[in-house]
Amino acid sequence: MIDKVVATFDEAVADIASGARVHCGGFASPFNMPSYLIAALARLGADGLTVASTSAGTGMANAQQLREQLAPIVAWPMDYWDPGLLAELGRIKRLITTFPVSTGHARMWPFEAALERGEVELELIGQGSLAERIRCAKAGIAGFYTPVGPGTATAEGKEVRDFDGVPHVLERALHADFAIIRAWKADRYGNLVFRGARTFNETMAGAARVTIAEVDEVVPLGDLAPDAIHTPGVYVQRIVVRPAAPAQRWEDPC
Amino acid sequence: MLEPPRLDAAVMAMVAAREFHDGAVVNLGIGLPLACADYIPEGREVILHSEHGLLGYGPLAQHPDEVDPYVFMVGNRPVRPRPGMVFLSHDESFAIVRGGHIDVTVLGGLQVDTGGNLANTHVPGKIAGNLGGAPDLATCAKRTVVLMYHTARDGSPKVVERCTLPLTAAACVNRIVTDVAVIDVTEGGLLLREVAPGWSAEAVQQVTGATLVIAEDLREVTIG
Repeated sequence: MIDKVVATFDEAVADIASGARVHCGGFASPFNMPSYLIAALARLGADGLTVASTSAGTGMANAQQLREQLAPIVAWPMDYWDPGLLAELGRIKRLITTFPVSTGHARMWPFEAALERGEVELELIGQGSLAERIRCAKAGIAGFYTPVGPGTATAEGKEVRDFDGVPHVLERALHADFAIIRAWKADRYGNLVFRGARTFNETMAGAARVTIAEVDEVVPLGDLAPDAIHTPGVYVQRIVVRPAAPAQRWEDPC
Repeated sequence: MLEPPRLDAAVMAMVAAREFHDGAVVNLGIGLPLACADYIPEGREVILHSEHGLLGYGPLAQHPDEVDPYVFMVGNRPVRPRPGMVFLSHDESFAIVRGGHIDVTVLGGLQVDTGGNLANTHVPGKIAGNLGGAPDLATCAKRTVVLMYHTARDGSPKVVERCTLPLTAAACVNRIVTDVAVIDVTEGGLLLREVAPGWSAEAVQQVTGATLVIAEDLREVTIG
């Protein structure tokens, strides 16, 4: 019998070893972040991680400021943790991202501070190339030529080749050991349905040896219509359900 | 001599939004360009794209009852859902961008140069830049408009002969809209098309770090 549902978040991430490569989904909203998986990974203590994520994450203190700023229009959940938490705890060795630093001078993100201290490595890449590199890993494509990057730092050290007179950069597939993603509904086969912008959550599913999906709900097999499934379960190895009663304190994920 | 008044951010956004034709697929960068969503010309239907997988979203949500927690655009800002809206993955979202399906992108800028090179990711003083989706958008949109103040806070020009900051994308900018001018990037150089009310071509040239070619039909900025 196929049943990919795992009982706890700690169990779901238990075999993520120090030095692992981890793809982390979510972006631009507190409602698409695999927050409980990130918190569990923080509790686990694995360090020296190579993480790929759209953004370095604001970290918890900055998220609290955003929560307060947005309070008049949106109830930002208390159970929000992003990759900034892992950076804050010194667990990230290398980050592959499009958005490593805060936008203003007033506040600094944890990864940015670690970068200033010279403790971490950054591989900066645009979102389109990051997304396609990850999709390639999922799809078994070794690499691709993109017109994005020639003449900029992104192309340094990479093959540049002309196609019909337009320079293209060779970008390689980006594989990982684990992908941690967030979805809405799942069944025991690991079939997934997302809610809202699917971000890297959909892109990363299947781009790692083990894909772990944090979901709001597991429904009986057959409840998800074949036409409505976004990600087939073959890309997903583990499913873990978010708590019915959300954690009320962002201050203590560990 | 006292400088004539500069255009405010709302008027700048209106000037950039003139570019949106009926049916246009448009991506707005964070910062000044976001305001363009509020000034889509009357009678035109425009499809707004956001990099993380949102196509056809509505205006920014202003009240709690307008917020759908699953409809956010970049920058953690909730926007209103709109009929016809579609959710996408990041890879699909950038297939749209890289595939040339974005008609117009309006991006912020730190520097634009004579060659249409754009630097808009690495804010001086920061340890690293934020590329986001800008390299793909600037390179692959059918039309790239940069919306920025004409000079930096310290008064230094942002329209320059050669960018000194790290490039987002090379030879990608079609038009620069600032608080004093509208400038097109052409093979013959930076073509000054429009000036803010009260501004002469000479006054614009004085605050510009590159030589401008003056359009024969140079006119005052109009909106609409």
